[in-house]
Amino acid sequence: MSWALRVAGLGVIYGGGCDRCPERTGPAAGAADPGLDAVDASGPGASRVVCDRCGSVVAAWDVSFEVAPGESLGVIGESGSGKSTVLRTIAGDLTPWAGAAWLAALDGGATDLFTLDRAARRRLRAGDLGMVYQDPAEGLDLEISAGGNVIEPLTAAGWRHFVRMRSRAAELLGRTEVPVDRMDDLVHTFSGGMRQRVQIAKALATSPGVVLLDEPTSGLDASVAAGVLDLIRELSEELGLATVVVSHDFQVMHMLARRVLVMHHGRVVEEGLTDQLLEDPQHPYSQRLVAAAR
Amino acid sequence: MDPVLDIRGLRKTFTLHAAGNRKVEALRGVSLRVAAGEHVALAGPSGAGKSSVLKCVYRTYLPSAGAIHLRRAGGTSVDLARLPDHEIAGLRHTEIAYVSQFLRAEPRRTALTVVARAGMRGGMAADLAAQAAAEALGRLRLDRSLWDTHPILLSGGEQQRVNLAAATIAPARLLLLDEPVAALDAANRRAVLDLVTSLPTRGAAVLSVFHDPDILHRVATRVILLHAGQITADGAPADLLATADLR
Repeated sequence: MSWALRVAGLGVIYGGGCDRCPERTGPAAGAADPGLDAVDASGPGASRVVCDRCGSVVAAWDVSFEVAPGESLGVIGESGSGKSTVLRTIAGDLTPWAGAAWLAALDGGATDLFTLDRAARRRLRAGDLGMVYQDPAEGLDLEISAGGNVIEPLTAAGWRHFVRMRSRAAELLGRTEVPVDRMDDLVHTFSGGMRQRVQIAKALATSPGVVLLDEPTSGLDASVAAGVLDLIRELSEELGLATVVVSHDFQVMHMLARRVLVMHHGRVVEEGLTDQLLEDPQHPYSQRLVAAAR
Repeated sequence: MDPVLDIRGLRKTFTLHAAGNRKVEALRGVSLRVAAGEHVALAGPSGAGKSSVLKCVYRTYLPSAGAIHLRRAGGTSVDLARLPDHEIAGLRHTEIAYVSQFLRAEPRRTALTVVARAGMRGGMAADLAAQAAAEALGRLRLDRSLWDTHPILLSGGEQQRVNLAAATIAPARLLLLDEPVAALDAANRRAVLDLVTSLPTRGAAVLSVFHDPDILHRVATRVILLHAGQITADGAPADLLATADLR
């Protein structure tokens, strides 16, 4: 398949790591029957992300996937499964321990993102890669205006003409259904749903081909969340975006994702079409996750 | 003529890990063919595996064994049982459509837009698709005042007719219908059945599940009886339905 984003063998280890970390952690480590491990990550199963030899935390290991232009991939799992770690590592917020990632838009897919220096990674975020965080305070400066937030990546991308930047910001805020007459208001005066819309506008500012969404609606009321999900879906379709959306919520997967990866203890335990995963989950963990959501 | 759909030795076994890895055999070697212009209805008692066949073809269920060959528009054949997920996703809506009583229409677009967009996905030009969408909704007796309403505000039966209009505006080569009239009153049921009856004449291959024997009689060109995950009979509706107990 032709991909917009490709990730291979991604691993993230906190605390130095050792050569035994991969085999000493994960869903299968130390368990006679992987089917018996706990769905509740706070239970005894949680220790499986900690290497018993060196004490490092293996947050993600051997994660590989491809996302095509216009396609949406979901990553589902509980808190601590490593799903946000994967997204943040691709976004450049965390440093990988192993693996590689490529954007088709960057040097025709020839350059591994993880080999770029910090400045180059920052430029990417003002270019081919957009990111939407669960907490708007992470993705936005709440003490400047909505317009100012959207203009920021444009400035970073080298836009210099103020009127043009402002009109681009107005266009994006309109597109994400933020009242344009509130463009000059400080973001901290906005509701949660509106802040997420500003974040989406900012993520789209430089017309990236790939947008990463980390629990984009988890902090919102159900009705507000539904509106934001709709907006994301509509924009992705219209702009032909490749999206990766991380969530613990099957409703979000159902709305946004065509294919889904299930993560557990830092590993991908299953991948499939979203409806197949919901109606015919294969892995013991996926079966428990789906049953718990019903 | 080559069939559009050629299923060979299809098996589906569910492994219930939470119940001590208990195995449930839903399909135990099903083989059948559906040609273009043919409407094959699956019949049999509840739990016989009728819906499981449709779901395996659409890949909502992962087949455990066997092959599901789909002859594509260009004449090439693919095995739906083994095709990678992203290729299945690509075939959906264009070459394979699935309509059940449970499907929900997409929010935020008007009923007319939902249907017109389906037409455009099927290769129609925008203006032609809009016109065909209006005709389709009219034929399915959806009140004109509801065309510009978001389907999420419609009743279950109204949504179902929007789904049906979308699935049939530019009919996929293979249509999978799972009880598509279950939520409808008598008048709307007739309108939907008229539409369903017209599909084979438009060149589509239809594989369906209907519970009502009278409907089977009316829409099917052939009926296949299933019992406990296996085929027990295959023939013309009149021959089969006279003798078989479908309950």
